[in-house]
Amino acid sequence: MSVETTAPVTEGQVTQDQITGEAVLAEISGMLRVLLDEYGLDDVEITMATKFHEDLELESIDLVSLSADLKERYGNQVNFAEFIAGFDLEEIIAMTVGQLVDHVVVSLREAARG
Amino acid sequence: MSTPVAIVGMSVLLPGAPDLDTYWGNITSGVDAITEVPAGRWDADYYEPDLARRADRVYCRRGGFVDPLAEVDVVSFGIMPNSVAGTEPDQLIALHVAAAAIADAGGDARLPVDRERVGVVLGRGGYLTPALARLDQRVRTARQLVRTLGQLMPELGDEKLEQVRQAFSDQLGPDSPESAIGLVPNLAASRVANRLDLRGPAYTVDAACASSLVAVDHAVRELADGRCDVVLAGGVHHCHDITLWSVFTQLGALSPSQRIRPFDKGADGVLIGEGTGVVVLKRLADAERDGDRVYAVITGTGVASDGRTASLVNPDTGGQVRAIRQAWLAAGTDPTASGSIGLLEAHGTATPAGDAAELATLAEVFGPASATDRPVIGSVKSMIGHTMPAAGVAALVKAALAVHHGVLPPTLHCEDPHPALATTRFRPIAEVRPWVDEVRRAGVNAFGFGGINAHVVLEQAPTSRPGPAVVLEPERVLRLSAASPGHLAALLDTDDATVLAASLDEREAATGPTRLGIVDPTPKRLALARKAVAKGAGWRGRNDVWFAPKPLLGTGGGKLAFIFPGLEADFAPSVDALARRFGLDWRSEALVGDVGRHGTGVFQLGRLLDTVLRELGVRPDGVAGHSVGEWTAMAAGGIHSAHQVDAFLSAFDPDALRVPGLAFAVLGAPADQVLAALANQDDVVLSHDNAPSQSMVCGPAEAVEALVLRFRADGVISQVLPFQSGFHTPMLEPYLAPIQRAAETYDINPARVPVWSATTASEFPTDPDEVRALFVRHLLEPVRFRPMVEAMHAAGFRAFVQLGVGQTGSLITDTVQGNDTLVVSAHSPHRDGIDQVRRVVTALWVDGAEPDVRPLLPESAKRRRAPVRLDLGGALITLDSRTRLRVPGQASALDSLVDGSPLAAELSLLLKDTADVAAELLTKRRPAPAPSVRKLDAVLPVSVDTMPYLLDHCFFQQRPGWPDHVDSWPVVPATTVIGHLMAFAEQAAPGQRAVAVHDVRLSQWITAIPSVDVPVSVVPAGDDRVLASLDGYSRAVVELAPEFPAQAPAPWTFTDERKPDLTARELYDERWMFHGPRFQGVEELTAIGPKHVRARLVTPAAPGALLDNVGQVLGYWIMASLPDRTTVFPVAIHRIRFHGDHPAAGEELECLVRITSVTDNALTADMQLVRRGRVWAEFDGWSDRRFDSDPNIRANDRAPGRNTLSTVEDGGWTRVHERWPDLATRELIMRNQLGSAEREQYDQQSPRAKRQWLLGRIAAKDAVRRWMWEHGEGEVFPAELLLRDNEVVGVHGREAPPLTVSVAHHGELGVGIARRGRCGIAVEPADDPDAVAKASSAALEKAFGARFAPSDGAVPEVRCARIGNPPGLPSREYIVAWTADDEQEMGT
Repeated sequence: MSVETTAPVTEGQVTQDQITGEAVLAEISGMLRVLLDEYGLDDVEITMATKFHEDLELESIDLVSLSADLKERYGNQVNFAEFIAGFDLEEIIAMTVGQLVDHVVVSLREAARG
Repeated sequence: MSTPVAIVGMSVLLPGAPDLDTYWGNITSGVDAITEVPAGRWDADYYEPDLARRADRVYCRRGGFVDPLAEVDVVSFGIMPNSVAGTEPDQLIALHVAAAAIADAGGDARLPVDRERVGVVLGRGGYLTPALARLDQRVRTARQLVRTLGQLMPELGDEKLEQVRQAFSDQLGPDSPESAIGLVPNLAASRVANRLDLRGPAYTVDAACASSLVAVDHAVRELADGRCDVVLAGGVHHCHDITLWSVFTQLGALSPSQRIRPFDKGADGVLIGEGTGVVVLKRLADAERDGDRVYAVITGTGVASDGRTASLVNPDTGGQVRAIRQAWLAAGTDPTASGSIGLLEAHGTATPAGDAAELATLAEVFGPASATDRPVIGSVKSMIGHTMPAAGVAALVKAALAVHHGVLPPTLHCEDPHPALATTRFRPIAEVRPWVDEVRRAGVNAFGFGGINAHVVLEQAPTSRPGPAVVLEPERVLRLSAASPGHLAALLDTDDATVLAASLDEREAATGPTRLGIVDPTPKRLALARKAVAKGAGWRGRNDVWFAPKPLLGTGGGKLAFIFPGLEADFAPSVDALARRFGLDWRSEALVGDVGRHGTGVFQLGRLLDTVLRELGVRPDGVAGHSVGEWTAMAAGGIHSAHQVDAFLSAFDPDALRVPGLAFAVLGAPADQVLAALANQDDVVLSHDNAPSQSMVCGPAEAVEALVLRFRADGVISQVLPFQSGFHTPMLEPYLAPIQRAAETYDINPARVPVWSATTASEFPTDPDEVRALFVRHLLEPVRFRPMVEAMHAAGFRAFVQLGVGQTGSLITDTVQGNDTLVVSAHSPHRDGIDQVRRVVTALWVDGAEPDVRPLLPESAKRRRAPVRLDLGGALITLDSRTRLRVPGQASALDSLVDGSPLAAELSLLLKDTADVAAELLTKRRPAPAPSVRKLDAVLPVSVDTMPYLLDHCFFQQRPGWPDHVDSWPVVPATTVIGHLMAFAEQAAPGQRAVAVHDVRLSQWITAIPSVDVPVSVVPAGDDRVLASLDGYSRAVVELAPEFPAQAPAPWTFTDERKPDLTARELYDERWMFHGPRFQGVEELTAIGPKHVRARLVTPAAPGALLDNVGQVLGYWIMASLPDRTTVFPVAIHRIRFHGDHPAAGEELECLVRITSVTDNALTADMQLVRRGRVWAEFDGWSDRRFDSDPNIRANDRAPGRNTLSTVEDGGWTRVHERWPDLATRELIMRNQLGSAEREQYDQQSPRAKRQWLLGRIAAKDAVRRWMWEHGEGEVFPAELLLRDNEVVGVHGREAPPLTVSVAHHGELGVGIARRGRCGIAVEPADDPDAVAKASSAALEKAFGARFAPSDGAVPEVRCARIGNPPGLPSREYIVAWTADDEQEMGT
């Protein structure tokens, strides 16, 4: 599955109906494309199964940038740092975009529920 | 249908192609490898194109030759180089190519364990091959010559004729009956089986030009029958004997235009080639099961003869048609079907009759042309000539590679195609084309004289193969260079196959500044590369693609840094295969969390990668490390010796570093943000400023965890790490002692390359004390890695190679952000080190560096270390001038026959020529033995002005900049002396060369300060010899001759050897040898054994330095092999024989040293210096004198400014025993310990007093130097201090401390003491009953004077000790008494 980049959504205005896997994947793909553009990988295919390390060649220090992007987009509703704190090194290496998308969806839904 | 057989390995040696890759490169780029016959194959005067044809005349002299490529590393096959001359070269080439084919198939390990199931079948013809031709000359021609001469000139007599026979035979080299087996023709196959231990059928077949394919047919049947599981098949042909050329000339088959143009309308004949090819065959099912790489599958073979036809010479289509149809029937494919064939590799001899017959055959078997289906016809003979029995395999390998790569190769010189081509389906092509058929299928023809025909059908390997794909060949690397990104884009603007075929050879230097490198160039990566190049911005490493529009390194001017990682949470090195490939010791037992052993692993890995990269020619402009990686950097940069770091790490107690309760954490935030968060707490500190997005902290575990949670709550990725050491924080301080102690014992050497400190973010200081201080700060202060990387970038560093595990590289990327920096790791957890290092080499090459990739290539592609060049020649014998002189001709009787006999006329001319040469030599070169040498008296001025290089040949080290060169003692090396003796001998015998020296005696060193004029004398000493002497110093008998002897001995070979534990660099840098740069020619210590050592030398420019290096290599052997008396200097050499002019500066030689005897006092060895595979100089009986030395003396020699010969005793006094009873050694010790003023005093002592006086000086000065070191002083050399009465004085600007000194000695003991206040020391023999009293009062008297009387009752305390001589000296005991320290400054 390939997803086109969507226009960025303004921060903080996440509504219940936007909290779908597809929408979040589109947003995260957009962030990754910006990040990867520096590496010239702007047209790489990003799916739920894409692996951060193996497919995108991101290293742990790149996750710091991604974490900052997520914070900028979702504010305190999503905490990527806490999400991966529970992972050991091998799990971080094996992490897929889908895992992150699921985490964001769950976090946003919880936040929306209040 | 027959059993399909897979080609799983291939190799060739063909004109222009030493290996498979080059062959394919030549084929696709259309290289014409045809040349004129090289000198030595046959004599140029056979070529008489304009004269009437005769059996001993040829009208053609162009062909395909392998002469410069015929090099075989015979030693690696267990063959002695000296047996090569008597062995048929094709056997050795077949062995070499067969081994390369096996290596190409994945190596010996891929062969069946049961060697009985491996066969060898090679095509080979019965020609007069080079070694047989030489045997024929020896056996037949020699006798023929004598018989003819004897019949024409009976007056010569038996004795003269025997001289002639002998003179002729001598030119053929020594008779060697033991190598006669090397002349048996079937050994081309049997030697392969023997050396490679293949126990299935091994034989040669002869079917003329069809031999190779008949061999393949046999192999296929061996596999189909199941007798063998693997068969090597192929063909060999290395015969350019004039008789073969004569046969082809007489048949009229050679091309009068001297061009080979298969299927061209104007083709007028063949050109003869030579070569060898071998393919490794397996049943396809087995190859698929084993995961082999399959080049192509042989689906059918056919062999048929013409039968009774009109001519044995002219081909007949009947047999050809049957052979081809048989093969296609076996393949189960209808040859006439559309798409049945894409490539027909034809026999294509370019003879009119041959081409016409072959085209008729093809039209008959494959049917007529159609508009849509035009398969390609070609013949590799257009590039390499007709390789006869090897022609079939040359064609088969070409076709298999074409099938494998999906490329249709061009054929040369078919400019005007043969009209009969139009009757066939086939067309020739002049340019390489992609091959896009659904199934790539090829046919290969080979048709032999006499009507024997063979054909093989190939098709591409099935695409779906079961089981895991095993990569057997090294990953392919695509390299392209161009003048600009635009030009590079143009190169890439074509299909993938063409791009790949255009790849540069990794071994060749490239010129273009814009470069692209792709490891494993998949279509995806090629697409990515096209995009990156189109964008024009640098692309450095993602997806294994590197592209640099302009180089950062090389002409780009950027610097290269090696960065050594510290401890990482995940330490799993994958360098096993890399270490094996480079022959390096590697074992990893590191456990993460165990800091000490983990540290050992990190250090060893860093050093391994450092060694590997340096062997690949990658040299850093600076080194740095992350955290404890800085220790590795210090060793790699030369500040610490690797041995000392090893010793430290092996003795390191990991528990000593575990600081209880501490923890580290990594925070994804910049250092300033972390520091701000820490502002209000003092328990947790910043330990690492790693990168703009990463910092580390250290502190009590609970506080660190709390901080991590705080940052994490803020969305910052944070993690507690599994280390508890407190490194880089003040919390380590209480645990610092063991590391600090070790650090203090480290020798601090000047850095060879700048070493950067992450504590100061700048280069390390040069002052050793400052280095030590910084070493400690580094453990207590934060690692400022980000600022250091920024500073390195500002200083011009543009490439950073990570030498170890982990993500240090990504910290650098994060810090330098942008396109103008290359970061690449030499280690990756994803692949073995060889493959990762290949990426480093590719990346550096793309950015303008020129690393040497050869060590990474498979054996077949590597330059052989010591190959033996094979003699393929068959020239007529020409007597050398010496032999001509020895056997003077008698022409008188012959002259009378001249008019009636052309033969007599020719002989007469020959003999006259001989006589003329003899006369010329007798008159010009050697008027008469006795007066040829005139007596010579001359003078050799020796000084550091006439011989400035002697400043690099000083026995003793002094403080840098020490003004008194005599204290360093520059000495003319013995080998330079030999060079002078030879030069003077040549001067005395004009026109003669010194070809050997005998009985060299070196009785006294010639010192250059003060300068001295050494008298020289040269006197005749019998036939061809002179005695040359430097009076009083040395002499040698020099042998003179008009030219160097032609026959050089064979180089020695050795077994039972290991890798030396020192590198050549360490030999000099760690001062194991005293030689300065101008005498440092040992480039590599290659191997050492119980009785030998081998090294590689690069000839230094300084006179005599090359031979001196030979002595250094011998010196290394004794140092590495024996515990003591390892200081050696040459005293005599029985003989040195030279086989050519002295090598020029910069020339490489191999140095072989064979130890012949070792006694207490002498070390004797024979040596050879080998230049490009030939012995240039051979030494017999080089004798070194062994001087007294033990490890302590050696330490003093190596670093006199930091070591003492004395030991320090409780009570702060020093003692030294005379461990050098021998006078010559004492002289050396004396010169190292005394400055010039003291040497004068020494000389004034009586001979008996000298020994003890010297012991006293040493002990006292050592006491002073130890005091200075304990008070913070750095290096102090013995010559910098001078004792004057009871005081010590500094020399040449050295400030001596205000100390009182006292000295005493007895027997073999010297003692000394140095204090701020008064002090005294005395020694008495212990067997004197009053020794204690005598010694005590003597000590007091020395301290306070003879009239000392305690006035106020405060008697100074005197202490006594009883000590004995150490083992090895006369058994003797002493009482030493010394005044106790009234200032308590050196409390005991």
